[in-house]
Amino acid sequence: MKLYTGTGDRGKTSLFSGERVKKSIDRIEAYGEVDELNSVIGAVISFLPAGSRDVKRELLLIQSHLLHVGAWLATTDGSHAQQQLKTLDPGEIVNVETAIDRMQGRVPKLSNFILPGGHPSAAMAHVARTVCRRAERRVITLIHQEKLQVGDDHPNAHIITFLNRLSDYLFILARYLNHSESIDDALWSG
Amino acid sequence: MNITAPPMEEAKSYTARMTARRRLSAHTFEITMEYPDSFRFVAGHSIRIHYQDTYRHYSMVNDPDSRQLVLCVRLVQNGLLSPVLADCNMGTSFTISGPYGYFRFNPSPRHPVFVASGTGIAPFASMAHAGVEGFTLIHGVRYGEELYYRNQIESAAKAYVPCITQPSGHDSAIRESFHGRVTDYISRYLSPASYDFYLCGRREMLRDVTHLVDDRFPGSLVYTEIFF
Repeated sequence: MKLYTGTGDRGKTSLFSGERVKKSIDRIEAYGEVDELNSVIGAVISFLPAGSRDVKRELLLIQSHLLHVGAWLATTDGSHAQQQLKTLDPGEIVNVETAIDRMQGRVPKLSNFILPGGHPSAAMAHVARTVCRRAERRVITLIHQEKLQVGDDHPNAHIITFLNRLSDYLFILARYLNHSESIDDALWSG
Repeated sequence: MNITAPPMEEAKSYTARMTARRRLSAHTFEITMEYPDSFRFVAGHSIRIHYQDTYRHYSMVNDPDSRQLVLCVRLVQNGLLSPVLADCNMGTSFTISGPYGYFRFNPSPRHPVFVASGTGIAPFASMAHAGVEGFTLIHGVRYGEELYYRNQIESAAKAYVPCITQPSGHDSAIRESFHGRVTDYISRYLSPASYDFYLCGRREMLRDVTHLVDDRFPGSLVYTEIFF
């Protein structure tokens, strides 16, 4: 079975809602960034130290949510195809916040900025954090460019919140992974 | 916008017996499987039939409300599963899973154009059985005998266009058909407009029709399902 169809060989692709669009538009940029974020989180998982089963389970769940986020971003607002999508449950944001609080309670308090790095898994979590911030920016660009109305009851509103909280999660995850491997965060000396 | 619309059914595994089999053409046959009690699908969905360490996808042909799983199977010489499905005893049980896929009819103000190659007709037959009507169906096959489900689909279609690439003999299917590829027909005869295209079949057909849409039918939507 061949993976490729060739339908995108001339610079266009199909949205989940069926529109043929240029691959350079904001919508493709937005879900492409989310895809990149998902891939980098996969790299974080591959670098996790032994015994990180709970963190791995958490990250796999986040990867699954990001696929749903990508599907929303690949679908034109108001299209019939949106009915096939699974809405991101706001409860998942609460779960991320709970995980942040749990890890926050286990790492030393910070007195200054830190330099990203340390254990390979932590360094990769920092990369994921920056990609997450970029994905968040691209989603916001998309919403502004397409003048999407995203009230509190709109799934895309949850997407922005989820990405915002996820970048905090990835920051504290990096610190947590360094701490659990007895590596001190490198403090910025100014 | 309805944000509480139910998402796609989650795929589950079931055991189902084969209850019927009939020949459709020299290389294609239809099988009917038992309908597991809790199974639900919409027209356009597929299932997997698992065999040894792998599986094959098949789209249902029938109306979901008929509580059967009717599948159109192309016999692949030296294939893994299709020879087994062609020769097994009636009543043989298989592990199946599903439903799978996002290929389904989305009502819109644009005229729907269904384009199928070979057994890619299956999801369109299911949609027609489920009550979708008024569409244009363009079915590309090599021989007239491969125009599966024509009688069942034609009455629901606004226009039914068989495209036969290797016509032979003198049967009525040949006389009433376009001789050539589906892309040839679309290029020559489909009026310029914005349509909702639904494409199901071989990857080459999907690619060529999609490029035609890009070039000639701006503003159209394209939904695709690959059949191998």
